[in-house]
Amino acid sequence: MIKKHLLGSAALLAMLAGTAHAEVTVLGWPGGPEEAALRAVTEIYNARADVADEDKVELLFTSRDGFFDKLQVDLAAGSTAFDINLIATYSIGRYAPFMEPISLSDEADGVFGDTVLSTMQFDGQQYGVPTDLSLHFLYYREDLIDALLADESQHALYGDIAEEYLGERLAPASPEDWTWQDFAANALYFSRSVNPDSPTRYGTVIQMKNLLFNMMVFHSLPRSYGGNWMDDDGNITVDSEAYRTALELAKMLYDAGATPPDSTSYEYAEANTAYSAGQVAAMVQWNAAASELTEAQPETAAFAPPSGPEGRFTHIHGLGLGLNAAAENKDGATAFLEWLSTEEAALAYARAGGAPGLTNETVGAISEDRPDLVQVGDYASNYGFVMNGATSENALSVYEAQAEEFTGFWAGTQDLDEAMTNITATMSDLLQ
Amino acid sequence: MATKERRENAMLASPMVLFLVAILGFPTLLSIIYGFSDTSFQTLRSPEFSGLDNFRRVIADDGFWQAAWFSLRFGVITAVLQCALGLFLAVYLAPLIRRHGWMVAVLIIPMIVAPAMMGLMYRLVLHEFAGPIPHYMYEWFGWSPAFLTYQNVFKTVVMAETLQWTPFAFLLFLAAYQAIPEDMREAARVDGTKPWQLFRYVELPLMMPTVYVALFIRFIDGFRVFDNIYTLVGAGPGGATTSMSIYIYEAFLRQGDIGRALAAAILLFVTAFVLLSLAQRFRRGTT
Repeated sequence: MIKKHLLGSAALLAMLAGTAHAEVTVLGWPGGPEEAALRAVTEIYNARADVADEDKVELLFTSRDGFFDKLQVDLAAGSTAFDINLIATYSIGRYAPFMEPISLSDEADGVFGDTVLSTMQFDGQQYGVPTDLSLHFLYYREDLIDALLADESQHALYGDIAEEYLGERLAPASPEDWTWQDFAANALYFSRSVNPDSPTRYGTVIQMKNLLFNMMVFHSLPRSYGGNWMDDDGNITVDSEAYRTALELAKMLYDAGATPPDSTSYEYAEANTAYSAGQVAAMVQWNAAASELTEAQPETAAFAPPSGPEGRFTHIHGLGLGLNAAAENKDGATAFLEWLSTEEAALAYARAGGAPGLTNETVGAISEDRPDLVQVGDYASNYGFVMNGATSENALSVYEAQAEEFTGFWAGTQDLDEAMTNITATMSDLLQ
Repeated sequence: MATKERRENAMLASPMVLFLVAILGFPTLLSIIYGFSDTSFQTLRSPEFSGLDNFRRVIADDGFWQAAWFSLRFGVITAVLQCALGLFLAVYLAPLIRRHGWMVAVLIIPMIVAPAMMGLMYRLVLHEFAGPIPHYMYEWFGWSPAFLTYQNVFKTVVMAETLQWTPFAFLLFLAAYQAIPEDMREAARVDGTKPWQLFRYVELPLMMPTVYVALFIRFIDGFRVFDNIYTLVGAGPGGATTSMSIYIYEAFLRQGDIGRALAAAILLFVTAFVLLSLAQRFRRGTT
């Protein structure tokens, strides 16, 4: 018995010693498909004959709760506990002072494309390999929309509702042709507060909690009206007709009861629960929600967010891996990052469950295994955008400030002019 | 002899003093330095002295005053509600608890749950489509209040805090109530005192020191509230549920404005110190 314990302890110590002497340590995004995918590609990399023992990769995972806050403190303290760390588009600028730019493989351009690579750039330099891409889909209940399209007796009511709330008479349309006006008309029609005979309680669900991630979901709307954070000269342009129209449209839907009254406390999970309960006709949500929503409501279809006068857009941001400036094995870390940006690694990552944004040429190789990535890659390259300044040092703070001001307007704690004045002043401080 | 005794006392106390200096003194000193400096995560190791700039920025920030007002209201209302309910329960249930002591264990269950867990639990319980409360209200009445709208969220978080921490006040009051000598009650009854008069003129005055302590503790806890509100609704629409602790947390970690966060923390500490000193004086004067 004692012998067994001693052997067990020795094995444990050997494992811990192995971890402690790992030559390239990667701090990854814990849990979920990202972790599984990173484990899979690491295994492939470590098995390569040209990777020296001292350059083998070890993975380190903590917890998602407060991950970026903890990472920020670690980086600022010059931690050498990891050589490579996770970064996200909106936090690159904040972490960049503690990281080093990297070189990607020659294949990277063809594998990811410019739009996706730009999600990991700051001040014109590449700070990370894009591993996972997040964008937004319009999810809708195909059964409900098809029934509405087929039932011409309802079209007059639909038109009346659109005229009353939106000022123009609209006819039901296929979601693939929707403008934001169509989206709003549909949301109103399927809300019992507007149409008591609606099969769903709400036409849509908008995540309006004071939370930076909710701003990302919202941004596809003002962008389609031409909104941006800054112009090319660096002037803050948030107080624009585009933003005002978008904010007012969302508020109109909230006030009309087209989204649950508790929406001002909703984030990803709450919104998904509302849709999954079968009481919501359509919503704009992260691509990551696809399987959850489809599983709960099998009649769900997904398309890119609706279009506006300036076109169709989807906010994109990525997760990636970059180089810690305090890394103890920079050569080994750089070699791993360079390999990670090759087609071989990107495809292996995708096959293992990750969600890289790949070009049409690259994604073809795995389109049968991962048809969802075809849609992601297609939308990212055709409709993807990053606001001017959204990778800057204070991007995270800008999203935070917008969340506070815009949710205040939606909830009625301040009017639109006040929200616009406040956010312009704050963004001027943060970005200029 | 006295000198030797003093030296021995100093030697015996030194480990604890050193421990406190290391654990409390260093972070306090660092907080003060950062509070008077232009500090961000980039300049943690080289903060530039900026005098009272951070304090000026905090005082000029509407968000700070909104958070201070929220914390003050929240602290006062929850402390009063918890103490009133706790006092009522302690007095009302005391005879029952004397016979069935296990009831205390049941009544203090909410206090055992971590506040952050409590926030997450309410997030689920109050959700229109997943929560049992809205679900059954829709089933039975065809309508349910939206608990977390801007109009209702303050009442909801006050209710959540009150339900969780009333047992704490109840425990204090029960101990104080049970400590009142029985012969005093008997003497009052012999003199013809009615139950209400017994409570008003005999029991309550004897429990008042405990009431003050409970109010202090619950006010402090309410004023510095963070976890249950943050996990339930975050900072709230337009910052409607931003307490002082949430304000400091967001300024520090989310906005990376360390100087402003610590200036706010110092102001909070000074205010709390002054308020507690005044309250202590008031308590001494009334007891």
